[in-house]
Amino acid sequence: MSSPTWDEFAELALKRITASGAEYGDIRIQDSHTEQIDGEDRRIASIRDTQDIGFGIRVLYHGAWGFAASSILSLEEVPRVADLAVEIAKGSASVALEKVRLAQEPVHRDRVVTPYRIDPFSVALEKKTDLLLTTMETLHRQSGVARSSASLWARRDRKLFVSSEGTHVEFDLLAGQGDCTATALYESRFASRSFNTPHLRQGYELIEDADLQREASRVAAQAVEKVKAPVVDAGQYDLVLDPEHLSLTIHESCGHPSELDRALGYEANYAGTSFLTTEKLGSFRYGSSHVNLVADNTESDTLAATGYDDDGVSCQKWDVIRDGIFVGYCTNREVALKIGATRSRGSNRADGWGSVPIVRIANIGLEPGSATVDQLIADVKRGIYIEGHGSYSIDQRRYNFQFGGDAFWLIEHGRRTHMLRDVIYHGITPEFWRSCDGVADRSARRRYGFITCGKGQPGQSGWMTHAASTARFRQVQVIRGEGQS
Amino acid sequence: MTAASGKSWPRMTSREEFRFLSDLVFTRSSADQTMVRLHDHHAGTTRFANNQVVQNVDTRRGLLSVNVAFDGRHGTASTTDFTAGAIQDAVMRAERIARVSPVDPEYLPPPDPCAFPMRATVKSETVGAGPARRLEYTNEAISQCRMENLMAAGVVSSSMTVVGIAANNGLFGYEHRGDARYSLTVQAGDATGWSAAAHRSIDHLKVQERTLAAIKKAKSGRDVQELSEGTYPVILEPAAVAGLWAWLIRSLDAKSYAKGTSPVAGKLGRHIVDERLSLRNSPDHPDLLGEGFTPDGLPSIASVWVDHGVLRQLAHSRFTAKTDGVDPIPTLEAPALSVEGLPVASIQDLVKSAERAILVTNFWYIRPVNDRNLVLTGMTRDGTFLVEKGEVVSAVKNFRFHESPLTAFQQVEAWTRPMEAVNSETGKMLVPAMALPRFTFSSVTRF
Repeated sequence: MSSPTWDEFAELALKRITASGAEYGDIRIQDSHTEQIDGEDRRIASIRDTQDIGFGIRVLYHGAWGFAASSILSLEEVPRVADLAVEIAKGSASVALEKVRLAQEPVHRDRVVTPYRIDPFSVALEKKTDLLLTTMETLHRQSGVARSSASLWARRDRKLFVSSEGTHVEFDLLAGQGDCTATALYESRFASRSFNTPHLRQGYELIEDADLQREASRVAAQAVEKVKAPVVDAGQYDLVLDPEHLSLTIHESCGHPSELDRALGYEANYAGTSFLTTEKLGSFRYGSSHVNLVADNTESDTLAATGYDDDGVSCQKWDVIRDGIFVGYCTNREVALKIGATRSRGSNRADGWGSVPIVRIANIGLEPGSATVDQLIADVKRGIYIEGHGSYSIDQRRYNFQFGGDAFWLIEHGRRTHMLRDVIYHGITPEFWRSCDGVADRSARRRYGFITCGKGQPGQSGWMTHAASTARFRQVQVIRGEGQS
Repeated sequence: MTAASGKSWPRMTSREEFRFLSDLVFTRSSADQTMVRLHDHHAGTTRFANNQVVQNVDTRRGLLSVNVAFDGRHGTASTTDFTAGAIQDAVMRAERIARVSPVDPEYLPPPDPCAFPMRATVKSETVGAGPARRLEYTNEAISQCRMENLMAAGVVSSSMTVVGIAANNGLFGYEHRGDARYSLTVQAGDATGWSAAAHRSIDHLKVQERTLAAIKKAKSGRDVQELSEGTYPVILEPAAVAGLWAWLIRSLDAKSYAKGTSPVAGKLGRHIVDERLSLRNSPDHPDLLGEGFTPDGLPSIASVWVDHGVLRQLAHSRFTAKTDGVDPIPTLEAPALSVEGLPVASIQDLVKSAERAILVTNFWYIRPVNDRNLVLTGMTRDGTFLVEKGEVVSAVKNFRFHESPLTAFQQVEAWTRPMEAVNSETGKMLVPAMALPRFTFSSVTRF
């Protein structure tokens, strides 16, 4: 006897849910295949191949949620879990003050597939380990480099989403990434410099197009230059921030505050709330007129562009900050109605079959301006050019932030000069974005993705991509990262 | 719902079933060395916010991981599907990886079989607690807050995990681990108060006591003043101490130490903190989450890591332990920090003895700023107060700190006995609340 199909499991679950009297239910069945190869100090430290299969059932009963999930996909387990989800929802309903309602969404029947040139799972493993070993050798060829690491990551998610409203979407999604890091020693100090391909929904062509050897030579030399560089003098500087660095700044200081569930208090016990409270929508000056932040879950290759979210809502594009004014949240079907929206923005995502979907940051990116990167730097008398990610921290309402970076260069009289080390800048989010007085044009636009965005209890890892062109910020407070400022 | 809801907990993988599964793997494997790890986890969480349940979930995930090696070439594959075909596939995937992997000079065969310590890692009351019990605690927290016209947000969770490890050299370990967690953030307008607990026994979460503590914090935070950044004496409550020590513990990696890329490089056997401070692994302590064995198949053991301020241990992999001649390998899954000398009775007594200090309930978003000297940054959260002449005089706006635990804990002025501490960014620890003479706050936020 052949085993039931995913559609048959879904039908079985939804019949139980409908029979219970629940007003809504959905099931996600997912098979996630992950390959992670980690190299460290000229050796392949680990290769892990993970197959993670299971299903999660969500039920809305009398205006309250229940969710249950299991890794046992069988004719016995599916009804057990469906019944458990209903039972849990009934328990939630017994103490509910305000009933959950869902924003309307058309019924969708679709199949979403990531386009790719090279299937990462079909590439010979030896080719990948050779690439990482060669990359680490390249890093170590630079005198002064004491440690190295390099890694490759690929994941395929096959998923079926079926709801009691009739939506039926199949997914076959890919994502990948690669990176390398050199750590240099000098006197008693050490410093690291990294190259990261973005996390994108592409095949292995993402790695082949990246030219890891060339990048390894570059970051190894820069790691040595960085560890020998002078410490920054604390003070106010103009900052010119590269797209990779800005992706984290955007993520922390714009992405999270624009999650409506945070603004409404749902995350108060963990990730926190948001200074972008609902009365600010449409009127609050978040940044200067140069600042246009757009959520685009329709842009190909990006992590949140999955066709549909885990509410079954189709992915969309919308303004979050328009001409510096806060105009849009990331929402799901539950919270959208609470600000008078008629439709969800389609930003409800779970990190796997075992997690309940929650509002997630969209692919929020900084729209390009009209300057060139050289023009941005040319108009700086005393400033710092920052690339990549370093230390980062922000308060639970996303006001007070502090960022480091991966590499820093002093700008003097319009010219990028030598490297600096231990640069840390801090500020208050709206003041910082109001100091933005220039964004480079589309030719400087790059995209960087995140797959470890922590939120929710139990904790989940969110995926999204942030695009930006290099941007300039005036008179930002910089401190030394080596100790007391 | 009734307490009978606990019946809906699925049956977990038994010892005999794990033995059967691991034997199946060994039969199918052609590798020189084969290790099998089981992680069968069942957890439920009731989450609430704005005095309402917003999420109520139950997830069971079984994971079987197979690691094989041929002549120092190794690979790992895992699956959540425990059918014979899927396990066969996992063995084949692991072997395929191992056969084409380069030789790993740091690979070691599985450790020799040994008798793992038997620990009280699971409590029946936690195993039996289902959605109904979690909802009961949730209601208790929400009701208390509603009575005070405050907003509650938090979680109640309980979980049971079956952990197994087996190797084709006879190594075998199997253990049930359960835990329960409670955390609550109370919002009083702009002010927040917080409390949290984690314990093997759901009966020991002290939900009422912790709820009242969070309410008191929130109410005390309503009148807030802004102080300028600078260096202040501080009174750190246990969660704040744990947040800093969690990063210090993470910095003890032996390989980084050997490579010179550790903030404690060259300091083994030397003072790194106040000479009255000691850090131990206490896996048998009833209030800690001790375990019988590690994911590497090593017994978890009681050990001293910092002895009277002197660094005595590093965190070793089996490879670095072999290189450095460390045997047995110390583990640190149940950290207990203590201060030699006479403690004060309570945090309130620390306040009474302070001339002027900042009282910190908790830190948030702690991240390293400088890996060389372990300078960290982070924010105060959920209750930050100015203490003057032995009394809390007002709440203060939250600070960002810029400080190294290796500097801050050089001098401890006063302390309580060790208390249970856990927060959203650290595991469970036993640590005292402490008064420290100097702590650097580098900026202030808006609330």
